[in-house]
Amino acid sequence: MVTYIFRRMISAIVVMAMVGVFIFLLVRLAPGDPADIIAGRNATAEVVAGIREQLGLNDPMPVQFIRWAGNLLNGDLGMSVFAGRPVLQLISQRLEPTLSLSILTMILSVTVGVSFGILAAWRAGGLVDRVLAAFSALGYSIPIFVIGYFLIYFFAIKMHWLPVQGYSPIDGGLGPWFVHLILPTVALSLGYIAFIARVTRASMLEILSEDYMRTAAAKGASSYAMLFHHALKNAGVPILTVIGISFAYLIGGVVIAETVFNIPGVGRLVVDAINNRDYPIIQGVLILTSGLYVLINLAVDLAYTLIDPRIRY
Amino acid sequence: MRWARGLPTILDPYTTTDSNTVDYAFGVYDMLFGLDSELVPQPQMLDSWSASDDKKTYTFSLRDRLSWHDGTPVTAADCVASIRRWFETPGGQLVNERTKDVSKLDEKSFVITLKKPLGVLIDQLAQVDVYPLFIMREQDARRQPTDAVTTHIGSGPFKFNEELYAPGASITFDKYDGYVPRDDAPDALAGAKIARVRRVVWAKLADPQTAMAALQAGEVDVLSEPPADLFPVIESDPNLVLEDLYKSGSDYFLRMNCLQKPFDNVKARQAVLHLINQDAFLSVINPSLKGNRNVTSLFGINTPFSNDANTNWFQKGGDLEKAKQLLQEAGYAGEKVVILDPADWTEAHNASLFLASELRKIGLNVELASSDWAALVARRAKKDSVENGGWSIFISSLPDFSLTNPNSAAFMAMNGEQGWVGWPQDDQYEVLRAKWADVTGIEAHRALAREMQQIFWDYASSAYLGQVPSLTAYRKDLTGLFGVQSGRLLMWNMRKD
Repeated sequence: MVTYIFRRMISAIVVMAMVGVFIFLLVRLAPGDPADIIAGRNATAEVVAGIREQLGLNDPMPVQFIRWAGNLLNGDLGMSVFAGRPVLQLISQRLEPTLSLSILTMILSVTVGVSFGILAAWRAGGLVDRVLAAFSALGYSIPIFVIGYFLIYFFAIKMHWLPVQGYSPIDGGLGPWFVHLILPTVALSLGYIAFIARVTRASMLEILSEDYMRTAAAKGASSYAMLFHHALKNAGVPILTVIGISFAYLIGGVVIAETVFNIPGVGRLVVDAINNRDYPIIQGVLILTSGLYVLINLAVDLAYTLIDPRIRY
Repeated sequence: MRWARGLPTILDPYTTTDSNTVDYAFGVYDMLFGLDSELVPQPQMLDSWSASDDKKTYTFSLRDRLSWHDGTPVTAADCVASIRRWFETPGGQLVNERTKDVSKLDEKSFVITLKKPLGVLIDQLAQVDVYPLFIMREQDARRQPTDAVTTHIGSGPFKFNEELYAPGASITFDKYDGYVPRDDAPDALAGAKIARVRRVVWAKLADPQTAMAALQAGEVDVLSEPPADLFPVIESDPNLVLEDLYKSGSDYFLRMNCLQKPFDNVKARQAVLHLINQDAFLSVINPSLKGNRNVTSLFGINTPFSNDANTNWFQKGGDLEKAKQLLQEAGYAGEKVVILDPADWTEAHNASLFLASELRKIGLNVELASSDWAALVARRAKKDSVENGGWSIFISSLPDFSLTNPNSAAFMAMNGEQGWVGWPQDDQYEVLRAKWADVTGIEAHRALAREMQQIFWDYASSAYLGQVPSLTAYRKDLTGLFGVQSGRLLMWNMRKD
């Protein structure tokens, strides 16, 4: 196991190095650079050229890459071209809202999604199954921003129960923090609940039709024991895989939720950075995100061994 | 007070022309002069100023008790350093060319010595259209303009709150208790600047629907430039007001590349000028039609120099037959016309699509090159032919007030390849433009403006598509909110009940 983790960590470093080269080239191959944006819409060419020189953008690309990679190896993601602050500081400033939203979304999605999936499998073909199937289809089909606008209109503008937008940091109190995250979490979770519920249902149905389940029923096992002791554990690997994928994909959904609910998170940071061609921020966020993906995949692989003892690395 | 609006990406008004940065600077920094509601410069940081009889030496004295936000006094040395930094920007270029020396006389006085008289010196020191002269601390002003300041200490009525600054998300200003306003009554950028709220927060709400909902719910107090499709919602809410506080709209224009075919030919450019029907363009740029206006003068609508010289092209705007005839006279042979289309700027994007369909009507071979604004800016700098990555036309906008001064508005220059993109060149026009600096008196400037406009529309490097207002939505419990003709919505003097 230890050797396996070590091997995966080494491969993660290789993956991230490749990602680093790719991202560096990608952002520079896109037309436009930060100097154009800094100078403003109607600036003269001389002003833009002066800023470009100041930022070192006239240096050959290999020189720029070596400078960036060297700093990266020392844990320095560079300085934002626009904010004039360290990229790591800007990401840290935005990390709390994004992590808060992501974690709450995963907690809600997994608990409700798995429960719905089990319920649908248990009552397969019945009314509950059909209602949950309809819910899943809707949850999976309606875009986050549509759900978001609906929630805002009903719960914030009409009922005045919850805030329209914004984020309240945890150190400002758990209550305001939670209240600001309810609507975005619900909006973001619906799609994942639907996805996880469908996979859980399918996986549970497959297990419930196995011979050993029939044997357990014949031996008089209760529904609870059959569902949770026998079926769910055996259906766990695909469910866990889906949860891992969902968490990895969450970053895309988070960008939209952060926009609709005006949450100052990493998603908004990187979108603004792309619009402004703020190279250090784009590179920094994508390097960290790719690292996170690698870690999630590793965590999911390791979690398989806990669910299924037959899996060994 | 919470304000949903665009945020500055750079906190240095000498580094960028971005209007959000200039708005920020109006809160944090102060100016030597402030333009009053008639656009006449009035002393702001200054107690007095005087000119020598030969108009070559100007002496300025600061008023008492001016201080930086760290409590240290504002000195003449700060002003001298700021003026020298300003000289390095296009905004200060003209004064720099005429200046022999800028030096301090004592702690509160400094002098500008000119090589030869400059009639518009005070107007230039007070101008707010491009790179205004904000006074910074000497240590900050020593940096090159391309090297943005990293400390944000000004002497204006509001302090920048470094601790609460979240770049790209929000920016917080606190009332500066040490600010001493003038005794005069407030009058646009002149007179007393009194901060009547303790704190102002600017927040970027990227989604306009959410921004609107936040305004309705009272989570923000002001929403700048709401999209036209939200106007009915605002007007139907009894708690909200929709108003043209800036008193200066955005003038949309198209710019042609005068170096490349087909628009290297004046007839082809004139064909486009005659083709444009501003009402039709305005209906796609601002479909609500609220506050839309036609722009026929090079000098805009609201500036003192707006005039009707050589505007016959507009009287017959949307003249398809005339446009076709001119294009034929130009000898157009089917060359490709590339329109740079900023897909991330809804108004300009819609106008670009409409322009393409209009140009096709007169037989032009049009291709749209869609990109985001950053990529458009990179491409429009290329002087090459369209086959080699160049361009033919793009659409942008200017604040109407920026058309006041042809020496600072790059759009108004016709100095060829040394000038702004599109690179129109007319030496006679440039002679007139150079005269602008030496002429004194508004009537003399008006006469000059007519002469310049005559040439500008004959040359036809650009065409206006019309003016749309910059409306502001705000809650009724906010009073005293005011904008100025120079296109600024200001933070001082407003009050929240």
